[in-house]
Amino acid sequence: MLLLDYQNVLIQSVLTERFSGAPPVSIDQTVSDFDGVIFHISTPDVKTKIVISIQIRCYKDLVRYGAEEVLNREYGPYVIPPEPGYDFSIQVDLENLPESKEDREELVKKISLLKRNAMAGPFEQAYQEHYHLKQEAAKFTSEEAPQGVREGGEVKAIHYREEEAIYVKASHDRVTVIFSTVFREETDRVFGKVFIQEFVDARRRAIQNAPQVLFRNDPPLELQDVPGVKNTGTGDIGYVTFVLFPRHLTPQRMPDVISHIQTFRDYFHYHIKASKAYIHTRMRRRTADFLQGKQLLFIAYIVKLAANQCAVLRRARPENEEKERKTASGRTFKVGS
Amino acid sequence: MANQTPAVVMDNGTGFSKLGFAGNDSPSFVFPTAIATKGPAAGSGGSGSGRPAVANKPSFLTGGAGPTGHLSAKRGTEDLDFFIGDEAIAASSGPGYGLHYPIRHGQIENWDHMERFWSNSIFKYLRVEPEDHHFLLTEPPLNPPENRENTAEIFFESFNCAGLYIAVQAVLALAASWTSSKVTDRSLTGTVIDSGDGVTHVIPVAEGYVIGSSIKSIPIAGRDITYFVQSLLRDRGEPDSSLKTAQEIKEEYCYVCPDIVKEFGRFDRDRTRFLRHVVKQPGGREVSVDIGYERFLAPEIFFNPEIYSSDFLTPLPVVVDGVIQSSPIDVRRGLYKNIVLSGGSTLYKDFGRRLQRDIKQLVDARIKASEARSGGAKSGGLDVQVITHKRQRHGPWFGGSLLGQTPEFRSYCHTKAEYQEYGPGIVRRFALLGGPGGS
Repeated sequence: MLLLDYQNVLIQSVLTERFSGAPPVSIDQTVSDFDGVIFHISTPDVKTKIVISIQIRCYKDLVRYGAEEVLNREYGPYVIPPEPGYDFSIQVDLENLPESKEDREELVKKISLLKRNAMAGPFEQAYQEHYHLKQEAAKFTSEEAPQGVREGGEVKAIHYREEEAIYVKASHDRVTVIFSTVFREETDRVFGKVFIQEFVDARRRAIQNAPQVLFRNDPPLELQDVPGVKNTGTGDIGYVTFVLFPRHLTPQRMPDVISHIQTFRDYFHYHIKASKAYIHTRMRRRTADFLQGKQLLFIAYIVKLAANQCAVLRRARPENEEKERKTASGRTFKVGS
Repeated sequence: MANQTPAVVMDNGTGFSKLGFAGNDSPSFVFPTAIATKGPAAGSGGSGSGRPAVANKPSFLTGGAGPTGHLSAKRGTEDLDFFIGDEAIAASSGPGYGLHYPIRHGQIENWDHMERFWSNSIFKYLRVEPEDHHFLLTEPPLNPPENRENTAEIFFESFNCAGLYIAVQAVLALAASWTSSKVTDRSLTGTVIDSGDGVTHVIPVAEGYVIGSSIKSIPIAGRDITYFVQSLLRDRGEPDSSLKTAQEIKEEYCYVCPDIVKEFGRFDRDRTRFLRHVVKQPGGREVSVDIGYERFLAPEIFFNPEIYSSDFLTPLPVVVDGVIQSSPIDVRRGLYKNIVLSGGSTLYKDFGRRLQRDIKQLVDARIKASEARSGGAKSGGLDVQVITHKRQRHGPWFGGSLLGQTPEFRSYCHTKAEYQEYGPGIVRRFALLGGPGGS
C-alpha cells in the first residue's frame, strides 16, 4: 500500500452491506478517522433510515470557506439538520435507494468520502478564486496590475489539528498550500526531514511536473500577517509548502489534486511509520544473523575444545604410565599408578 | 467529549482479528489474521543496486523466513507491497503472493509480519493516527512477558501510540459478561470457556488474575464440529458435502439437546424436524441437502466426545469441574458461580443450559457422597451458573470495548513517556482494569 485511500473503509463496508438488500438491522457505531474526525453511523428512529454524522474539529473554518456549498452540492437531497454534538448529518432511506446497482455503489462511494468533501471546501474556493484572478490578471501586464490582483486572495487557515493547520492561498498564477507540521518525537523529526527533503528534490531530479515543494522552519512570507502564526524561533514547527501551478489547476484535475493534498499529512506519517517498520525488520534480521553467526562460532569453539581435550588426554595417558622421575639424589624411578 | 478520541480495541486471534473502537457494541472489522507478501518467486525489483546481496543463508532463527530472507536485496518499495485480511486471501490465490499467518496458537510468531499487519490495520482500515489514540490489545493466557515487551516496542517505537494497555483475553471475556442480566456483582472471578475454531480453553480467573496452573485445553472446537457434520453428510451420500456447506449447516441449524436418546425419538415422531438446506454450487446449480440428526449430534461432541474422537474422551463438563477443583479452594465457589462462555463455538442454542445442568449434576453427586461419608452433616449446597450473553461471539473484543470507554481507562494505560523512562519491562505489569478500586 503506497497511497492511502480517501474514503472511510468502514462506512463503505457498512453501507455496501446495507444497500445490498440484507434485512435491516439497527446500527450504532462511532468511528474515527484521521485528524480526530469522528463519524457516527446510527439508525435512531427506524431500522431503514441510516444517519451518518461527522464531527470535525475545524468545521467552523470550513464553513467560512464554503464547505457547506460543497456538501450541499454533493449530498443535497440527503442532508438533514446536524445531530447534536456533530457538525453535519446526512440520512439515507433504505426503502428509497437508487434503482441500479451502479448508482448505489456511486452513493456509497460518495458517502464514504464525507470527510474528504467536507475538507474540500476551502480548496475549491481557492480554485475558483484562482480562475477569477487569472482572468483579471490577463487584462494587465505584470507591472501595472493593481494591488489586489498581484497579491492574490486572502490566506485561508484550516486548523484541522490542535497544533497543525493548512493554509491555502490563491493567486493569479498559482495556488499555494502550506502545511504546518509538528513532531513530538525526535526520531520522527529526523525521519520527517529526510522524507520532505526527498519531496523537495523530487522535482529537481525526475518528476518535472510535480508541484514545487518547499520546506522551512520559520513561517513562509505568505503567512506573515496571518493571526496565530508565530515564529517561535525554536524550529519545532516545520512548514511544508506546495505550489500548485496552472497545470494542476485545471477543472478536470481538481478533484484528484484536492483528495491527494488532503491526505498529505496522513501519508507522510504513515510512511514515517512504515519506514520504521522496515528498519525494524532489518534489525531483527541482523540480530538473527548475528546470533546464528555467534552460534556457529560457539560450535566451532566447542569442537576445538573437544579436540584439544582429546589431545590432552592422549598425551596424558603415557605420562601416567611411564614417566621417569628423579629423586633429589639423582636416582630415577618409574611412577606407577 | 469533543477532544476525546475513542480508544482503539484490537483483538488479534489465531484465526481472526477483531478491530474497532471502544464504546461500540461490535467490532468494526473482523478479518483473517493473514498477510500476503510478495513471494520469493517474484523477482526482487531493486535491480541496479550495486552491492551484492549479503547473508542470504536460510536462518532457522528468523522463523519461517522464506520471503523475508532476501530482504537485504530489496531496495524498492517491496516492503509496502502486501495485503492483509480478506484482501490477503484474495491476493494469495493469484500469482506472486505468499500467504502467512503471523499468529500461531494465539501467540505472535513472526514480528515482521505482525508489525506490518498492525500498520496496515491502523492506517488503512481503522484510519487513525496512532498518536491520537489509546490502544487496548489482547493477549492469550500464559503469554510470555517477552512477547508483551515486543508488542510494546512496536507500539511505542514504531507507532508512537498515545497509550497502551494489554489485557488477557479471558479477563476481557469475563468483563463482557457484565452485560448479562444474570450478573449482578461485576466481579472478575469466574471460569471462562473460550471455544474458537482450533481449540477450546477452560481458564479460571480469580480477581482478574489467571490461575495459570489450572488452565486446561480441549482439542475439540469449531473446526471439529464442522468435520463431524461433514462426515455425517458424506455417510448419507448427500449431493453436496463440502466443508463450506457443513459450516453453514453447523451455524444455522445446530442446537444442544438435553438428552440424545429422547431427541432421536422426537425426531422420529415428528418429521418436521428434518430440514432441507439449499446449496448454490459454483456454476449456478442448486442442490438441496437433507439435514437430520446432525442438528443436535454435532454440538454433542462437547458432551460425549466418544462419538467423534477416539483419543480425547473427557466431556467438557468434567473438564470444567476438574479445572475448578484444581484451583485454590477459596475461589472455587466464585468459579462455579460464574462460568462464562466466549467464542463462536459456544453459540449453540441451549449450550449454556446443558453445561450448567451437567456440571451441577457432578457437583451435587460429589456433595452427596461427602455428606454420606461424614455421617449426617449437611452441606449448604453449591451454586453453579453458566452465563450466556449476547456478546459471546466477540467476547474478548466486547469486554475490551466496555473497559476501553470507561473514563479511568486512560489512567491505566502506560504512556510513551513512561515507556521511555522505564524501558519495555514496564508492560509486564498493568493495573487491573475494572477490578476492585475501579468502577
